[in-house]
Amino acid sequence: MVPKSLNSLSGYYIYPLLHTHKHCKNPGMKRILIIEDDLLTSSMVQFRLKRDGYETIMVQDGNEGIKAIEEEDIDLIITDVMMPFKSGIEIIHFARKVKPNVPIIVLSALGAEEQIVLEAFNLGVADFVPKPFNPNELAIRVKRALNLMK
Amino acid sequence: MKKLYFFFLSLFLQSLIITTAAGQSPQSLTDSTAFQDFLIKQKEIQGLSVRFLIEKSDFTDSIPGDSIFRFAETSPGLLSSVEITQFGNFPKLLDTLSALDPTWEFLIFSQPSTFIATQEYVANLIRNGDIQELSKEIAPDKDLVLLASNFQYVPFFKYKLPFSSDYKLFIVVAIIAFFLISASVMILFMVIFKAKKNKKEQLMKDYEPLIAEALTAILFEKEIDEIKGLSEAEVLAIFPAGLLSRPLFQSVLIEKIIGLNKKMKGDFKDKLKALYQKLGLDKVSMANLHGKRWDKVATGLVQINEMDLIEALPEVKKHANSPNFHVRTQAIGTLLNLSEKMDLTFLKDQNYPLSSWQQMNYLRIIKFLYPQKELQMLSLFDSENQSVRLFGYKLVRLIGRVDLLENLEKSAINAPDDEKIEIIKTYADLGAYMQADFLNRCLLSENPKLQQAAAQAIGVIGNNESVPIIENLLKSQPDFPMKMILLKSLQKLDSNQFEKFTGIQTDIDTQRIKRHLLDPLLNHV
Repeated sequence: MVPKSLNSLSGYYIYPLLHTHKHCKNPGMKRILIIEDDLLTSSMVQFRLKRDGYETIMVQDGNEGIKAIEEEDIDLIITDVMMPFKSGIEIIHFARKVKPNVPIIVLSALGAEEQIVLEAFNLGVADFVPKPFNPNELAIRVKRALNLMK
Repeated sequence: MKKLYFFFLSLFLQSLIITTAAGQSPQSLTDSTAFQDFLIKQKEIQGLSVRFLIEKSDFTDSIPGDSIFRFAETSPGLLSSVEITQFGNFPKLLDTLSALDPTWEFLIFSQPSTFIATQEYVANLIRNGDIQELSKEIAPDKDLVLLASNFQYVPFFKYKLPFSSDYKLFIVVAIIAFFLISASVMILFMVIFKAKKNKKEQLMKDYEPLIAEALTAILFEKEIDEIKGLSEAEVLAIFPAGLLSRPLFQSVLIEKIIGLNKKMKGDFKDKLKALYQKLGLDKVSMANLHGKRWDKVATGLVQINEMDLIEALPEVKKHANSPNFHVRTQAIGTLLNLSEKMDLTFLKDQNYPLSSWQQMNYLRIIKFLYPQKELQMLSLFDSENQSVRLFGYKLVRLIGRVDLLENLEKSAINAPDDEKIEIIKTYADLGAYMQADFLNRCLLSENPKLQQAAAQAIGVIGNNESVPIIENLLKSQPDFPMKMILLKSLQKLDSNQFEKFTGIQTDIDTQRIKRHLLDPLLNHV
């Protein structure tokens, strides 16, 4: 059995209800949506971005990602390609329609597959970070993408 | 004479009929007393009646005229009663008339009949089944239920429970019971198994955020030296008390660290490896190597490989010749990956043939690491395992070890044809012109595969002596593919000689191949 203290921590990393963040964006902070099915990877990214003063929203599958893009006020999207329910490419398609000005960074192990990278860039992503990656490097790319948006 | 014959014949037949009829009469009809008893039992017989006859002088007033008999004078001095058809009353009637000493007369359909004729009539009725001879047993006077009450009840079944004495019923009940019990046990096991599985999955889900939180904090907040310098108490404090010693938590933690290790690069990778050892997970991986199940051993090997646990290499080496395909593949992959020098001596002693998949797997690792690590592969040529020797020849070719051509030459002398083919391919790929004589010899081989391999290679590394050999082979009219290879090699070796030869040879195949080879579009196809 998991200790009770453990259960109290279980909801810490995944924002359980997206709509609770819908109306509470800190005006001085940039909000970044992280769509990644691996909790540990997204936690690493989130931790690093929070250090740089960003507000983050984490979702773990394509459907939740679509919902978050539609409902949330976000400044940048970081998405994986291979995910449950909807792929990163579908998410990029949707984001381009709904929020064409929000920069997207693709974070994927499919970086070696030229076709995927080309398709992502053709859809207008700001950057492509292949896995394995360094979270510090990703943080720099996020900063650059947000600066370019200005 | 003829009349006499028919007379005797009719006599014989009459006697035969009478004898047969008498012989077939029931015992009850044989004498008058028995016949009387028979009639009383039968009570009534269709068409048969009886009437009593008494002398008029014997008639007394004790019998009233309007009695049941209703005697009437039917002939002078003789009184006859009415026809009596109910024989059941006989005893009573006889008692009444006993003082008068009556005689009786049988009537068949109201016609007077003799006793014998009456007997025959009744016997005939019985024979035809018109009446049934009744007895006291089957025609009891009393009610059947009352009769039955005379017999004490004895149960048909031997035991108290009916099915225990009926073995068929018992077997059916036992089989049904067995299936019901089996089904119940299975359902129970499934429920328990499912509950355990669900509990395990839930625990794994619960562990995940805890691990993510702890690892993220350590990887970002601590430097690698700090991680290496963590005290035991500090390590135990990373996770809630007692959790780190739980096998399920350990397996989830290992899985997560390995998964993250694949996705991270830079100092994060080093930190993860240091943390893996600090948390004592390397011991878990080492323990897996001693597992009895092959999948556990293979998992341990993967963990050691992923987390670069060099100190486990002696243990890994023990599995390099494992009878299990996956274990030895994983063990060799780990050895190649982690060894300081890629010394392939352990491959030399492989008892099992290397599959194409294994060769491709090892080659991928070797090609990736070769520039950085020293590769010692000479021993492969001396292996007793042919697949290892073949892998060695391929390896020379695929990583371009020209320095080993001399060793290949030595191996090629006594090599079987299969190996010669591989060596020839290596010679051709590495441009070993000094091996042209060897190729010329192989070109004359009787093995068509070796001949074909030599013919292909000779176009690249052949010499002047190769040309006449090729021409002679072409003149011997080989099959179309071989002819194609030979002509192609001849063209590459000496284009003038090719023109000359194809100018003389006028057969259709040679001309077709020539046109193909000289076509600027087709010559590369």
